[in-house]
Order: sequence, then structure tokens, then C-alpha cells
Amino acid sequence: MESSYLKIVILYCIKELQGQRTIYSILHLLNGKKSSQTIQDAHLFQLTRFFKTFGQLTRSELEQLAAEMENINWISQDENGHFTLSVKGGRYLQSALLEYPIPSSLNGWKYHTSTGVFWERLSLLVQVISHLNYNHAKYLPIQRKRNVLSWLKDFLKTSGADRNELGILLNKELQHCLGSLSDINPAVLTLRLTGYNHIGLTDVQAAKQLGLGQDYYHHQFLGVLHYILECIKHSPSRYPLLGKLVSGSEDSVPLTFSTKKTYSLLNEDFGLDEIARIRNLKRSTIEDHVVEVALNESSFDITPYVANDRQKLILKAANSSESRQLKQIRQLVPEADYFEIRLVLAKFGEEER
Amino acid sequence: MNLETILQKTYGYTSFRPGQKEIIASVLSGKDTVAMLPTGTGKSLCYQLPGYLLEGQVIIISPLLSLMQDQAEQLMLNGEKKVIAFNSFLTHEEKRQSLMNLRRYKFIFISPEMLHFEAVLSQLKKLRIALFVVDEAHCISQWGYDFRPDYLKLGEVRKRLGSPLTLALTATATPAVKEDIKKSLGITEGSEFIYSVDRPNISLSVERLNSYRDKIERLVELAETLEGPGIIYFSSKKIAEQTAELLRDRGVGSVMAYHGGMDQESRILVQQQFIHGQLDLICATSAFGMGINKENIRYVIHFHMPLQIESYLQEIGRAGRDGKKSIAILLFAPGDEQLPYQLAESELPDNVQIDWIKGWLEENPEVMSSLSQYEEQIRQVSGLTDTQWRVFEDFFQRKSSQGIPLGRVVEEIKVYNQKRLESKRQSIEEVYSWISMNVCRREHILSFFKEEKTEAIRNCCDVCGLELNDFTKKNNKENQENLQYDWKNHLDALLIPGE
Repeated sequence: MESSYLKIVILYCIKELQGQRTIYSILHLLNGKKSSQTIQDAHLFQLTRFFKTFGQLTRSELEQLAAEMENINWISQDENGHFTLSVKGGRYLQSALLEYPIPSSLNGWKYHTSTGVFWERLSLLVQVISHLNYNHAKYLPIQRKRNVLSWLKDFLKTSGADRNELGILLNKELQHCLGSLSDINPAVLTLRLTGYNHIGLTDVQAAKQLGLGQDYYHHQFLGVLHYILECIKHSPSRYPLLGKLVSGSEDSVPLTFSTKKTYSLLNEDFGLDEIARIRNLKRSTIEDHVVEVALNESSFDITPYVANDRQKLILKAANSSESRQLKQIRQLVPEADYFEIRLVLAKFGEEER
Repeated sequence: MNLETILQKTYGYTSFRPGQKEIIASVLSGKDTVAMLPTGTGKSLCYQLPGYLLEGQVIIISPLLSLMQDQAEQLMLNGEKKVIAFNSFLTHEEKRQSLMNLRRYKFIFISPEMLHFEAVLSQLKKLRIALFVVDEAHCISQWGYDFRPDYLKLGEVRKRLGSPLTLALTATATPAVKEDIKKSLGITEGSEFIYSVDRPNISLSVERLNSYRDKIERLVELAETLEGPGIIYFSSKKIAEQTAELLRDRGVGSVMAYHGGMDQESRILVQQQFIHGQLDLICATSAFGMGINKENIRYVIHFHMPLQIESYLQEIGRAGRDGKKSIAILLFAPGDEQLPYQLAESELPDNVQIDWIKGWLEENPEVMSSLSQYEEQIRQVSGLTDTQWRVFEDFFQRKSSQGIPLGRVVEEIKVYNQKRLESKRQSIEEVYSWISMNVCRREHILSFFKEEKTEAIRNCCDVCGLELNDFTKKNNKENQENLQYDWKNHLDALLIPGE
């Protein structure tokens, strides 16, 4: 029953989706697909906390799990391929959630861009402090990403804290924060930490040591990190040092490299065709970048690209069309092109409905 | 100052290992040098130390990203800051930045494919190159066991850089491969240092079993009884993973799998746990071991038959670097010889695939000049794997740049593939005959490198006679302290400065 917890999560999602979506919407949710449809669904069905919390789940694994649950009549499929929970499945879900409660601090949507970086910085910082404490300079950093390593260099230079104080401060903040966790054992996180003469455990080893299934362990691990991030956000004055581990990662827009370039040119007031020429790319590629910016950057103003009146028309059409297919919307607003429709949906996808 | 003093000052070692001093002295006297030192005897010192004594930059060509990264990190670990590993790990911007500032570095590691770029070459040309190092130089030879097409261009690169002082390093090269290295690099006069591939402190054993199941049972038994730490090599990630699981279930100490399919953080942790003695046994694919500096590995077991004698020597050479007695065991069951053939074939594009590509190129002639841009499409059409594509692309580029028409290029590729496959088959047969023949294992391997066994060795091999008891655990019961884990104590221990 290695995947029993994952099954619970899927059952939970199926229940919340109320038979209105296929299981692939669950795949996109758990994978953290950045499409307006997925983001919109996550909000509409209140599943945002699961966003990108099983990034590695594959289509076939999900299909396999769904088939297994269909076989034992926990779920059934209608003619559209949408699943619903059976009475039996509902009963199972209820009791399973008592045994395997979903970590209450889990908040994928809010923290999916900062969790990974936060962990990389924290684990590296702990390793560095531990070796400083022992005056030991020769060791291999446990994190290898250049941006994490250079962040650490800057951090040590600018943290302001005395090197001897760093460990004491970090320890105090971590002890305080983790000590107030109610539904997860802090060992989920601390077992993974590396220090002088002690290499941390991998996720597989930590799960084994704690007697947890891999999937459940994974959600608990994310749960601890999200809990720390929430503490930092909630009472920054209490966690000044941990707060520095978040800076620069939390609000950074997770744009692709190429989109970032386009975005900076947009900010210099270049037009789309000019950018296409400068970057030697097709206009359609630049349009994709603009849509990506609109999806990720809530303050991004789209009126330079779609006039206000037209935005309203498109939104109206989108709301009256069932499937939200671009083609259908276009039929209702023939004067708009696909780029304009995509842009408006990206911008307002979350709020309407 | 003599070399020993410098060694002591820079590295804290008091003496050189066999060969190191001679090779370094040769380089310092300005002679191009080809050196063959067995695995695990400190090859990288041979270019690092001269690097500190010569003015200018040391360029190191290294075939494997992970190996390059390891070597660069080892240098940095030793306090050297002027190191850069110039490879595809760097972002475009980082590459540009560091290219402009190459002069700032002392040790510049470069992957051979980076040398394709004119921009890189022209920056290198501006440097004062103190030493041009070709690591794993056997990769240059088409008949070597680990041929890399990119390495073929190194001769030309070297010429364009003004034929700087060159050091070619390898652990395993037959005399033919060695000649190939010199010819390819354009080294006409120079010194050669060949040290025996033999590692007398490693006993060699082949165990024949009847079936896969028997092999597994024997493996569990060996893992239970042999004195660790140890490595077990597999040809498949999946079987490495499954066996690690099985061994844990059977209560064989601390075992983890290691393979290229794992995420980077886990790979680093497992490797470091092993080095720090928190793990006793690794179930690995060939991805494990390059650049791992662990002195006290006591045994290396091969669960699958290796593809070449050379790669086998590399892998077992990770045992016993401290000079103490260690053992290499190969488990063999009838039918095992099939797998290497399949693996060898899967590395080369087959004729049907090549014909598909030919057809596609005839329909899309405009892509011929910039083939690599269409990698994804072409691989989709033909179903080539990563390795197959590299072999194909390189050959195609080289030939078509000489103006040879498509039809003939394709025919030549097929002939070339056939030859490569033949050579691989031959290597496998050599391993197979080594396994099958009832002669001293050590003598047999040495004869392969045109060497002879010079001394009698206790526990030489299973043919000469081997006392396996010499390699088993002496005190069976390890008093494993099972302390209750307390996260608060752990955090304190990590973060609070010691008294």
C-alpha cells in the first residue's frame, strides 16, 4: 500500500471536483501546471493547497491509481470520463483522513515558488554554520546550484550577525517555530539536515526511519516548510534570520528565462513587433511570453494590448460559453484575435466565476 | 624547493605515489607527456602541482560532466579559488561572463563539446596556456572502450592553440590505444610513463552460479559476510534499486542505491554518507564512483558482466586505495553474456533508423546545414536515443563538412557502425573468455595490456587459490547504538558552537 496516501489525496480531489472535471485536471493540479484552467480550477474547487505538491506524478501512474480505485468501486466514471466518489469511497475517505490527515499547513499555491529555494538555502546554511562552529573549512556543499551558493556568500557577508551568533540565532528561531507545530513531527525536516561529520538523510531514508509511506512523508515535509514560511510571513519580527532566507524568493515571478528577457523589454516600452525584431524571434513567441507574464504577474496591465472595451466583450463571451474554448469565444467576439482572448483569460482567469 | 616540499605545503602529503613524481618532473621539463596510471593512484595531482609552478593557465579537457565537476570541486575544497568548470551546467550569461574573464582562472576545465564554439577557442587562444591536459585520454581512440567522437577534434584544437605543452592522462590503455592517443594529439616526441594496471592488493574472483536467483542469494550472502565498505555494480538502475531494497529487508546493514535517475540532492547525500561511513554498501550503476575519494573500500562486486576489461578495471580500482587487501568479485550465471551484447547494440543507431533519417533529410534538405537545431524532430522521426543521436550527429557533421553527399555519408555511417559494433563485440568476448578460462585472472588481464605478472601474490585470484575468509567480517555483531532520535538535540548539535 505504498501509494495509499496518494490515493487519499486523489479521492479528496475527486470529491471536491464534484464530477465536473476529468482526473487529468487532478494531474495538472498536483503537477502544478501553470495554465489558466488549472489555476482557475484550483481556486474554484478549493484545492489550492495541493498545487504542485506532487510535481513528479505521471499520467500513467495517476491512471493506474484511478483504475485500481474504480475496480474496488470507490469511484465511478460517467460518459464524459469524469469521476465521482461512491458511497463506499466516501466512507473510506472519511476514515482514512482520520488516520492520515492532510497536513494543515500545506499550502502549495501560496508557496510553490518559494518552498524549493527556501529548503536549499536552509539546508546549505545549516551545513555551513555547523562547519564554521567546528572550524572546519573543507567539505562539499550539499547544494550545488550556483544561485543558492552565491546567495549564501552574499548572506554571510551581509547578514550583520556575528558568525558565532548565527548558529545560536538560527537554532533559537527554528526551535521556536518547529516547537509550535501541532500535527507534524519536526523530525520530518531535521533528519534531512547535514552538518559537520553528519550527513543528512535522503527523503527515502527519512520516510523509512519515521515509518511513513513515501507520499505521506513528502506532504509532511512540504507541510513543515510551508509552516515555517507561514510563521515568517505572520510574525516577521520573531523570525528575523529565517526571514532573510525568504527574501528575493517569495515574490519573484517564476517566469521562464526567455520570457524574462521579453518582459524587461516590455518594461522599456518596446512594442511586440520591435521586441520580436530585437530578439530575432517570431511575433507569436513574443505573444506567448506576454500571456505568461499576465498569468504570473498580477499587477501586469494588459490594456496596452487589449483595449478596455474589448476586454469586457471577451470576458462576457467567456462567461457565457460553456467550455471556454478559444474558438467558441472567438465566434462570439469575432473582432478579437486569439492573442487578445488568451491574454484576457490569463489576466482575469482567476477572479471571474 | 624540491617537489616533496611543495607537495607537503600544498596538499599536506609527505610523499608521492608511484609515478606521480616522474610524470610531474617530465611536464616541468617541458616535454609532452603521455601517462598511464592505474585508477586510484592520484592522476589529478599530475596536472595540479605543475599548475602551481608554471606561469599561465592549465586547461583540462574532461569527458564527463560529473567527473569534471568532481575534480573542480576537489580543487576548490583544497582552497583553490581560481577554478572554473566550463560546461553546459553554466547558464548562457555565466558562460559569456567567464569567457570574458578566462585570464582570472588558473585551472580551466572544459568539456570537449564546448571546443566546437569558435568564441570559446578564440578566447582560449588569447591565454598563455601553461599546460594542456587531456584527461581520460583513451576516449580519443576509436578502438578504446569509451570512445567519444568529440575527442577526435582535440588534435586540431591543440594545433590551433599553438601546440602547448601537453599531458595526456589515462588509467587504462592497451599499446594500440596509446599509439592512437599520441597520433591523434600530434605528439611526435615526448615522454611516456606507463605504470602497471595491476593492483596487487586487490584479489580477483569470478564465481559461477547456475541462475539469476542463485546470484541474488549469493549476493546477499556476500553482503552479509564481507568486511565493508563495499560497492556492488549493476547494469540496470532498476535492479540496483531492487537489490538495495532486498538487502535492507534481509537486514544487511546500511545500504542505498545510487544511479543517474536519482535527484541531485539524494545523489550527493548518498555519496557523502558513504564517504563519511554512515553507509556501508552502495548498489550502484556505473554512474557511481568517478572522482570518489574513499580510501577504505574493501570490496567491489559486479552483479552483471562488464562490457570491457578496461571499464572493469576502472570500477574494481576503487577498492583498496589505502593499499590494504581488498577483493573484487564477479558473479556470473549462464546467459549473462547476452545482456552486454544488447547494451552494446542499443548504443548505436541501427540501419533502419539511419535510412529513416536519410529519407527525412531528403524531404527536408534545408536542415542539412544546421542539423543540431532539428535534434528533437529527427529523434522523433527515428527514435534515436541520446547516445545514438550523438554518434550519428557527430559523424554526419564531420563527413558533410567535407562535402561528401548524403547518400555516401549514410553508407559510411553504416560501415562505421558495423566496425564499432564489431569492436564492442570483441571487447565483450574478451571479458567472456576471461571469465571462462581457467588461468590466473591477474596474468590474463596483464597479458591483455602486454604486461606480465612479476611477483607471487597471496590470495591472487580464485584460480590461483583464494581464502575468502580473509575478507569477511571479524566481529559479526556490530553494537549498533539505537539512540532515540530527538530533533531538538539534533538541531542543537548542528547549530550551537561546541564548548
